[in-house]
Amino acid sequence: MKKYIQTTVDVVDYSSLPLVQKYALADLLYVAYGLLIVMLVLVSYFAGMFDMLPHDPQQINMDLLMSPPGTDGHLLGTDFMGRDILSRLIVGIQAYFLPGMLAISIALAGGVILGVPAGYWGGRIATCITYISNLVDSFPRMVLILLVIAAFKPDIYYIMIVMGITGVPAVATAISNKIYFLSQKNFIEAARALGLRRRVIIFKHILWYNCRALLIIQATLGMGEAILLETSLSYLGFGVQEPVPSWGNMVQSGANYFLQGNFWPSTAPALAILFTILGFNLLGDGLNNILEDRRGK
Amino acid sequence: MNSSPLLRIENLRTFFYSQRKHAFVRAVDGVTLDVGRSETVGLVGESGSGKSITAMSVMGLLRGGPGVIGGRIEFESAHGRQNLLEKLQAFVEVHEQNGRVMSVSKDEKGWRKASERIMRNYRGKEISMIFQNPRTSLNPYMTVGGQIAESIRLHTANRSESEARERALYWLERVKIDSPKLRYKTYPAVMSGGMCQRAMIAMALSAEPSMLIADEPTTGLDATIQSKIVDLLEELKSETHISTLLISHDISVISRLSDRVAIMYGGAVVEFGPARQVLDPHEEARHPYTAALIDSVPSQQKIRDKSNLQAIEGDVLDTINVPAGCRFYDRCNRVKDGIRERCATQHPPLQEISSGHHMRCWLFAKG
Repeated sequence: MKKYIQTTVDVVDYSSLPLVQKYALADLLYVAYGLLIVMLVLVSYFAGMFDMLPHDPQQINMDLLMSPPGTDGHLLGTDFMGRDILSRLIVGIQAYFLPGMLAISIALAGGVILGVPAGYWGGRIATCITYISNLVDSFPRMVLILLVIAAFKPDIYYIMIVMGITGVPAVATAISNKIYFLSQKNFIEAARALGLRRRVIIFKHILWYNCRALLIIQATLGMGEAILLETSLSYLGFGVQEPVPSWGNMVQSGANYFLQGNFWPSTAPALAILFTILGFNLLGDGLNNILEDRRGK
Repeated sequence: MNSSPLLRIENLRTFFYSQRKHAFVRAVDGVTLDVGRSETVGLVGESGSGKSITAMSVMGLLRGGPGVIGGRIEFESAHGRQNLLEKLQAFVEVHEQNGRVMSVSKDEKGWRKASERIMRNYRGKEISMIFQNPRTSLNPYMTVGGQIAESIRLHTANRSESEARERALYWLERVKIDSPKLRYKTYPAVMSGGMCQRAMIAMALSAEPSMLIADEPTTGLDATIQSKIVDLLEELKSETHISTLLISHDISVISRLSDRVAIMYGGAVVEFGPARQVLDPHEEARHPYTAALIDSVPSQQKIRDKSNLQAIEGDVLDTINVPAGCRFYDRCNRVKDGIRERCATQHPPLQEISSGHHMRCWLFAKG
């Protein structure tokens, strides 16, 4: 049962009252969990960069093949070549982190550059973007990526550039729809009547205040998607190649031994994938709800 | 009336083009009026008579072509008197035939650029504007105070954040918003329409402009809130002596606030004069349209007598097929036989029939 209590009867200046809890608990938890994951990813990323790993990820140890978690200082055990799984997991972050960032940057930058004029001025640019978007949507992304891999080489950066470019129309459409929706309301006109410069209106009022939630959602969803794409391609053998570790090829190589009872070499990266993608998605969701919250109690 | 009015609009023409009908929509065609210093001029007319388009033309906020194609908009500021349309006239070429605009060629890009350059010095700083639908006129994701402070920092000497905040709070108090400190931090979504309009007024006035254009400021608010907003405008008017161009279709609002009134019909001003004279139901010299407009407003007297309201016969003028004669001819109930010919074929000019009272009607035409 929810209880409402009146405590401020004679207060004249309400601004002196303490702020009531403003955001939903679930959203705060989402963001907390998401930030935890992002922090973990970042710390691990830099730990991997500066060789602060428990073991050498490439060190083959013939005495400890498939040793279960906990043996001999190997926290998550070793794989079929006796390599430390935890270290390989940490280094595996490098396989998607920067490439994923690249994909997101391309998608967001392209989306803003195309979406803002399309939404603000409409007309031919808007038509163009709709056509491009339909074109990209009708062409399976995976096929395009495989084409690029076939034409050049199986490199994660090529894959992510393709992913970024194919992500542009979706972001552009979202932004131009948002701006079109905003232009129905006349606060943009009111801001112009007030003498604000056009770039202030576009960058501050439209992009920053009204589109930031949308951009953050796109960025975090994009990161989740990038991880998924990288791991699935690496699993299939088109992404990061052995012996360079990536979560995808770790799952793949571990999967061969799964039914023999050695579940950890594939389960550890699989769980890492699950919780990381969940973290990014929840972070986006929570941030979106918090930024969209304009109840301002 | 005033020898040097603050704003003077002369024969303004703003057209749009209908792609489907291949014809010009003569949204504003011959608006002439002036607003003196610390004076409120009411602009009245039915929907579609071009009131808002006139305001938007002054602010240079119109979208869609060809837009403003002729006339003068003079505005007096600290830098002297400037015709806002003077430098823009070079970008537009109008071809007329028998007094009818047949084609317009306009360098819209050049016009827009030049217009932006000129209007940059006027918007907000000299002329502010408040709109109807106050709830959508504020940025939904920015705090109310933040928006007012932004305008203050842009236009006044209060550049620092704390000064602007102080000023914004002062203005919020001035427009009588309850608990201004709380409202400073809230978002428009939690405020009622009346409060949003108050915030809009605070925002418009906080830049300390010399002129305010209020485009239907009370439309969309309910009756009690309307009268409170009108009270507020009345009070601010007497305190700040700001010149106001008040646009409304609500004659009661206009009559409470205006010193002078311009009546618009079919894109043109048909009568312009002192409010008392124009809106007085017993005044003899009145444009037939003004008379019909006033008869269609419920008054205490009419309610007591249970007399029927007079509806104006016919529809608002089709601004595409504008008749050659008087635009009100089809709906006019005062056409006399002697002038019928002229009413049907010749567009009456806006003439001064008595001191400060202008009329566009053959009934009162001299000569």
